[in-house]
Amino acid sequence: MFDVRSKVSQAILQLLLTLMVIPFVVPLYTMIAGSFKGQGWGNYKAVVSVKMFPYFFRNSAFIAICTIALVYATTMMAAYGFSKLRIPKREVFFWMMMACLTLPEVVLLAPLFKMAAGAGLYNTFWAVIIPISALQVPFTVLLTRTYVDGIPDELFEAARIDGAGTIRMFWNVLIPLTKPMAVAVVVLVLINAWNSYLLPLIFLMDPSYQVVTLLPQYFQGQYNDDQTKVMAGAVLTALPEIIAYISLQRFFERGMAAGALK
Amino acid sequence: MASTSVSAKGRRGKTPPGTTRGAAEQHRRQLKLRPAGFGWILPALVLSVGVIYFCIGYNGFLSTQQNKGGIDGGTFIGLDNYRNALSNPLFWGALKHTLIFFLVVSLVQIGMGIIFAAMLHSKIHLAVVYKVIIFMPFVIAPAIMAPVHRQVFATEGPLNWILTNLKIQWLCDHIGINWVLEHLHLPTVAAQSWLAQTSTSLLVVIGVQIWSTIGFAFILFYASMGQIEPEMIEAARIDGATNPRILISLVVPSVRGTVLALLILNAITALKLFDYPYLMTRGGPVYTSDFLGTYIHREAVTLTNLGYAGALSILLLILAIGASVVMSLWSRRGE
Repeated sequence: MFDVRSKVSQAILQLLLTLMVIPFVVPLYTMIAGSFKGQGWGNYKAVVSVKMFPYFFRNSAFIAICTIALVYATTMMAAYGFSKLRIPKREVFFWMMMACLTLPEVVLLAPLFKMAAGAGLYNTFWAVIIPISALQVPFTVLLTRTYVDGIPDELFEAARIDGAGTIRMFWNVLIPLTKPMAVAVVVLVLINAWNSYLLPLIFLMDPSYQVVTLLPQYFQGQYNDDQTKVMAGAVLTALPEIIAYISLQRFFERGMAAGALK
Repeated sequence: MASTSVSAKGRRGKTPPGTTRGAAEQHRRQLKLRPAGFGWILPALVLSVGVIYFCIGYNGFLSTQQNKGGIDGGTFIGLDNYRNALSNPLFWGALKHTLIFFLVVSLVQIGMGIIFAAMLHSKIHLAVVYKVIIFMPFVIAPAIMAPVHRQVFATEGPLNWILTNLKIQWLCDHIGINWVLEHLHLPTVAAQSWLAQTSTSLLVVIGVQIWSTIGFAFILFYASMGQIEPEMIEAARIDGATNPRILISLVVPSVRGTVLALLILNAITALKLFDYPYLMTRGGPVYTSDFLGTYIHREAVTLTNLGYAGALSILLLILAIGASVVMSLWSRRGE
């Protein structure tokens, strides 16, 4: 965008950008430096040797995988229906769904409690997976529908003339063509499911059902507010997300670009 | 569903080609020939609309009840909970913080997002590293980062260390920035106990939220700037346009859609905000960083005042839908 022909102006731009990202690095640096204070690697050893530690990760991973599967399947189907199939009054249904975008988790607590208790789901993972998915679906449908709108109708018509039914078109045309969007959906849902805090806090009572976002609190209780352990726990919890993001970064950007820019 | 598609195809064969009709009419006709798709949107509808509309309905019911502790409601009191909420200064305080939050976060996030995106579209070494650093905060959970931020803003924390030891406080004192801030009744640039003061707690929550969402704005701007034709910028440059001029007159107008999308998202985020204020300040001290999210949580969970919390929830829903509708109408009018 900026025209930097000379070596000097290029160096100035580089320096300026470096200065501007410092505020982004400070908390990350604080986290990592804090995790090594005192006992050094010993902090990590102490955190990892906590008996519950693997459970936190297993539970978060389970919730994230189930949420991703549920959201991905329902989103792709809905985007296909909204964009390429005939639905009477489809915009009404679409906007009914979009209204859900505005609701925060905290508003759902009391009704969800009622619902979960009624269905016997309290203190099970489903009491967390279903509401997180319900809150994610409107946004992912919005992104994916925009993306699918961009796929020419002719592709689907050609498939239909060749004798493909609705289901075949879904599998053989829509799913392969929406791969960049799929990555964006997976990353977004992964972030939101892995990061969800309030719903697990309220709905998962059993200590062996706790998730990674509850780790800091757990360590604060466990280690009498020993911040070095809390920081070590924070690094370990953030790590899977950082790795997932860096390895999917290219696809994620492409998907976001395609879905969010229309 | 396969059978529907076959019959639609059959009908299609019999329809004479409508060459004389308008394109819109033809499009509508093609739409009619498509296979029925309601079954395909049903799972998503049941999942999101089903769950969430039940919750809205149940909140609506609770909001008319005088209720202490029980989940099943209590005695019917009509609209008293709404009256109480609308006459409660805590409600208006939370709303004021929401508005300040929305304005400041939008301004900084959109401004910085555009600048970062424009810079990274220029010739920069190690561009990927910068991109990852800027987006990283968006990825990490607020619940994980909150204890870290509490350390950053602690009295003995890195922020105060930087302000004192890198002489930034000294600089701001001497070039008059702090004098201006003081006269505007804003917090000055100085080492202080950021989280414990009524004058700075809201600022900290806003700062942390900006930190964690600039990356998202950046990714969107970066992508939409990628669609600007390089020839257009080249032509402007030949006409003698400078870098700032190109940014303001060419780049910014072409990312207008992204700006509007972010404004709507920020309005909703501001109304929904819970994690950071709850985890960093609990809405305090003395409710100075209280938002609707933390307010509802306090009423519903801490005080088990479900009727009142239900009324607050319904008010929040009305505000959120109202804000989104107003903003999308406003954005459409501009086009």
